Amino acid sequence: MQLHRDKEKFDEAGARLVLIGQGTPRHAEHFIEDYGLDGMQVLVDPDRRTYKAAGTKVATMSELFSPRIVAKAAKITATQRLVQGRTQGHAAQLGGVLVVAPGGEVVWTHLAEDASDNPPNEAVLEAVHAAAERA
Amino acid sequence: MARVGLGAAVKRQSTRPPERADELADVVLQDHTGAEVRLGDLWRDQPAVLVFLRHYG
Repeated sequence: MQLHRDKEKFDEAGARLVLIGQGTPRHAEHFIEDYGLDGMQVLVDPDRRTYKAAGTKVATMSELFSPRIVAKAAKITATQRLVQGRTQGHAAQLGGVLVVAPGGEVVWTHLAEDASDNPPNEAVLEAVHAAAERA
Repeated sequence: MARVGLGAAVKRQSTRPPERADELADVVLQDHTGAEVRLGDLWRDQPAVLVFLRHYG
């Protein structure tokens, strides 16, 4: 998930970008330092309560390591020079993205179906612009 | 729920996108400084993008 690389675009769109991870505040602090994310709001949910409420799922082994998924991850690593960061907490817990409008309506979601399933930043930004217009 | 190595699920699960964030709104989480944040405050005045990380990175 590389949405934090486009933080400025979310700021411009009038949306608040918040990352939620599984570890402790110390893990989140390391994450911010490692990726130069000063100013980014990073929350921690060691109990994964919000992951459940957001509708994310826990992967099967094949959703983590099937040849298709491993190949896709290798391609991303090679073409975008991205490597996966440290896995912290529950290793098979998948992630996702929710766009929430003022008032609490969830106006857009992308919940990962397998370990390689991340939405393009452009798609999330488009959803944010739509949500901002409704606000 | 039965699980095998890495805590992986044995049976394929389905994602369950919520229509509203009410269940999330009253949850209070710590940020990287240890300060407490009520999630509902994040989208009180503007849209919020909640990114649930699989891993840090």
